[in-house]
Amino acid sequence: MIAFEHVGKRYGGRFEALAHLDFRVERGEMVFLTGHSGAGKSSLLRLIMRLEKPSRGRVMVAGHDIAQLHASQVPFYRRQIGVVFQDHQLLFDRSVFHNVSLPLEIQGIEPRETARRVRAALDKVGLLHREKALPVELSGGEQQRVGIARAVVNKPSLLLADEPTGNLDPQLSADIMALFEDFNHIGTTVMIASHDLALIARLRHRILRLREGRLVADERAV
Amino acid sequence: MKPSTTPRRPRGAAPKASKERSRVAPPRQESPKRRGANSQQARLSSRLRAWGRHHRAMSWDSFYRLVRHPVGNLLTMLAIAIALVLPAALWLTLDSARLLDAELDESATLTVYLQPAIDPGQAERIEQAVSAEQAVLDTRMISAEQGMAEFQRSLGLDDALAGLDDNPLPASIVVRPQDVETAAMQQLASTLEALAGVDEVRVDLAWVERLRHLAALGRRVALALGVLFGLGVLLVVGNTIRLAVESRRREIEVVMLIGATHAFVRRPFLYSGAWYGLGGGLLALGLLGLGNHWLSLPVAALAASYGASFSLPQLDMTGATILLSCSTLLGWLGAWLAVTRHLTSIRPR
Repeated sequence: MIAFEHVGKRYGGRFEALAHLDFRVERGEMVFLTGHSGAGKSSLLRLIMRLEKPSRGRVMVAGHDIAQLHASQVPFYRRQIGVVFQDHQLLFDRSVFHNVSLPLEIQGIEPRETARRVRAALDKVGLLHREKALPVELSGGEQQRVGIARAVVNKPSLLLADEPTGNLDPQLSADIMALFEDFNHIGTTVMIASHDLALIARLRHRILRLREGRLVADERAV
Repeated sequence: MKPSTTPRRPRGAAPKASKERSRVAPPRQESPKRRGANSQQARLSSRLRAWGRHHRAMSWDSFYRLVRHPVGNLLTMLAIAIALVLPAALWLTLDSARLLDAELDESATLTVYLQPAIDPGQAERIEQAVSAEQAVLDTRMISAEQGMAEFQRSLGLDDALAGLDDNPLPASIVVRPQDVETAAMQQLASTLEALAGVDEVRVDLAWVERLRHLAALGRRVALALGVLFGLGVLLVVGNTIRLAVESRRREIEVVMLIGATHAFVRRPFLYSGAWYGLGGGLLALGLLGLGNHWLSLPVAALAASYGASFSLPQLDMTGATILLSCSTLLGWLGAWLAVTRHLTSIRPR
């Protein structure tokens, strides 16, 4: 699904955010990406989302070198990836329903189908009863679940998450992780950047450990 | 999953194939199989429907945004209207000047004075010879007696001239030329002057020329003003839209993160621009009507004092349609320039 081949990323010509990255993530895998802040987790995810291009090497997603995508194709590529952000990136002037429906709106899915899929996604994250609420009326954990619903409403085959439990208490964090596991069970490839070592150690999935932009450990699940 | 090689391939089709499985499940079957022309056509029409739906939604959305802040937006439209009124008024004036121009062409004539000794029979032959010239549109003979009568009438000196024994005026032929350009008329004059029995040909062009130059000058001034004020409208709309983009920056970043195309992001702003333009155009029409009403009384009085009936030119349906389409187009263009320039600076974080 994802293959990094000798990938390096420099910012401003000097600062080396990532170096000599070489790994593969198979279809249907669930992988944690961990390391101190500044170790390059976010940069790595940004490369997969094609928010940036690598300075060296190739990033292959589903067999395609995504650096080769023309700027006009990038939006269509991004529609195939669900992304959960640490700060949710919700729109605060729209209801929960309209936040989740955004990816479908962008694709021009017809309204009835959109409503059906949005409710299905909200149901999955347990927020069907809050569809009319505004994001500000929700707790942090609920906001994060709206973000997750928006990421999966499109049924992406790759789900990325950047510190999805960053600001949540342990119980909520465990709930969120369980949600990701559910999606993984139905075949979605999931990649989660997190520094919550205690939590991810319990979950027994593959862990990629980054330090100063290099991959220092690739621990397979046992 | 597979990165698209062409942006035209619809994505909506893939999840539909797996509808029956868990609702938020990703499709296991990665690339949807093409099932021939029929399904492709269906996809194209559904894409078109989606496109139309978004256009409708965005035109209303931008309209509501406009109505929600009526005062500020009305001021923007007023600025546009004021920029449109001046060139439009000039255009109207020129339109009536063009009518005048046509009358001028009518009155651009040559007068061929015959030698005093010519008798009416000879005069008629000369008139035939003049008519035979290619550059001549038509001719009108004014006999010596007619000439006298007209002269008397125009001077109102019936009695004074009645005292003359002899008619001092020669017979003349008024010639309307095909071509009213100066050079052509001058050439025709010299040709006619060479005819036997012709005493003199007079071309009174100087004032026609002056008026024509003045009209040409006015047209250029109007064009220059039109271009300048059109640019003004672009700037007004562009600046307003730039602020609108800036205030919705976060929203733009988010939708770009989840795969919105530039066209999708641009659309609501283009509609806002077009609404601004249309509103400004309508206000300009109102201002023009108001100005017309305001000026019509003194203009009528002035015309009456000259014994003429002249009314200010009104903008007709065609003119109004042109003004509204131009202003709408300018608004749209201003928005396009502003959004396109601005979008390159917005990059999802």
